[in-house]
Amino acid sequence: MKAAGIRGVGLVGSFGCGTGALENSLRKGPKPPEDLVFFVSGRERRIPVHAVDTSPLDNFVSKREIRRIDHFSRMALLGAFLALEDSGLTDASRDSLGLIIATGYGAIRTTFAFLDSVLVDGDSFASPTLFSNSVHNAAAAHVAIQLKITGPSLTVSQFEMSVSSALLTALRWLDQGRVERVLFGGVDEVCSVIGYCHERFFGDSGGRIQPFAANRHTAVAGEGAAFFLLDRQEESRYGLITEVRQGRITKAVPFPEKGSYIINADGHPGCFSLYRQLFRPEAEVAAFANHYGSFPSGQSFDLAIAALALRNGIFPSISGQEEMPKGWRYPGVVGKKGITCLKCDGEGYLGAIGLKGG
Amino acid sequence: MSTKEKIKKILVEELNLEDITPEEIMDDAPLFGDGLGLDSLDAVELVVLVQKHFGVEIKDMDEGRPALQSVDSLAAFIEAKSRL
Repeated sequence: MKAAGIRGVGLVGSFGCGTGALENSLRKGPKPPEDLVFFVSGRERRIPVHAVDTSPLDNFVSKREIRRIDHFSRMALLGAFLALEDSGLTDASRDSLGLIIATGYGAIRTTFAFLDSVLVDGDSFASPTLFSNSVHNAAAAHVAIQLKITGPSLTVSQFEMSVSSALLTALRWLDQGRVERVLFGGVDEVCSVIGYCHERFFGDSGGRIQPFAANRHTAVAGEGAAFFLLDRQEESRYGLITEVRQGRITKAVPFPEKGSYIINADGHPGCFSLYRQLFRPEAEVAAFANHYGSFPSGQSFDLAIAALALRNGIFPSISGQEEMPKGWRYPGVVGKKGITCLKCDGEGYLGAIGLKGG
Repeated sequence: MSTKEKIKKILVEELNLEDITPEEIMDDAPLFGDGLGLDSLDAVELVVLVQKHFGVEIKDMDEGRPALQSVDSLAAFIEAKSRL
């Protein structure tokens, strides 16, 4: 497949809104998570999460227009608006613009709100608005309507492999000439069910993701949307996506040995052990999940950081770098071999996205 | 809280009308179209909300169309049904 150029990047995360907010977070250190309050058998529980404020969406669309759009879709919509704005292609035709959204959980907050309403009040009281937003492709529908995108639209959910899986399709659409551009994004949200699961299955995270912690759980649930405007241009200020691979994890590193890697190590020691198996001792490796949180489509934020590093020619200067495994070092100048964003899941699969300067 | 006040609160909170307060909704303003700007999906939502909050069922379009004209008409419908 031919490479795809990254023309625009739109981000909304716990760090704030836009690429500048993420760069600020990388420079100054991650914002502390906030408490998510939920109830288990009537007892109040609190768990730290990286939560998102979507109020900047007011800059793009009126409150009335988004009144039936839930938090999940609002994050997607804000990310999409920002990516389109960043690309400078706001006036370009939307007829040949495709839309692909990757999500691990979908609109999980709305899905469970709908199910709860059926369980508590009965199916005759089920809200049609909650139902319409509970389906996985609701966000893509809202984005397409608000941005007047009339090209093909797709939502891909393959849990932690969602981003690489969806990106494969985006590259295929561009390669086939099915569309001229693709608005591609990863989005996931946090909710009380996620909070309950984190507390139930992982226990106390300590409130701070330590990506390279090998022996303890430090995952802090997060949410956000990272969108990209992709096209077939061979020159792009954010670089090119040259390759996307998925498959079973083997002992071989999936991309050029001397490139730099951004791994989506997000505080799950089981997954981190897989990354350790893959790399040589002198590998150039970075991990940034402590800036946006732990969620299935978090790899889309690594893709954004890789794009920013390619634009700047150098990896971000970061505050509070975590201690790394012996021999690994933090990347500096982006070399000719580029950057690989690597995601390993708990089932022994990997998704790898290769980027180079454009 | 009167029936009208409760209806207005439900309209704003349950239909997410973030750009208007319950006090700003006129009793006789049309709920749909040029008035409050609600649409057909809101109508379905309102049928569910009226049953949930007031225990009053809007059985079909013949009942729903006149009842859902305004806050005035909806309050009158709910109060009439509640007396049965």
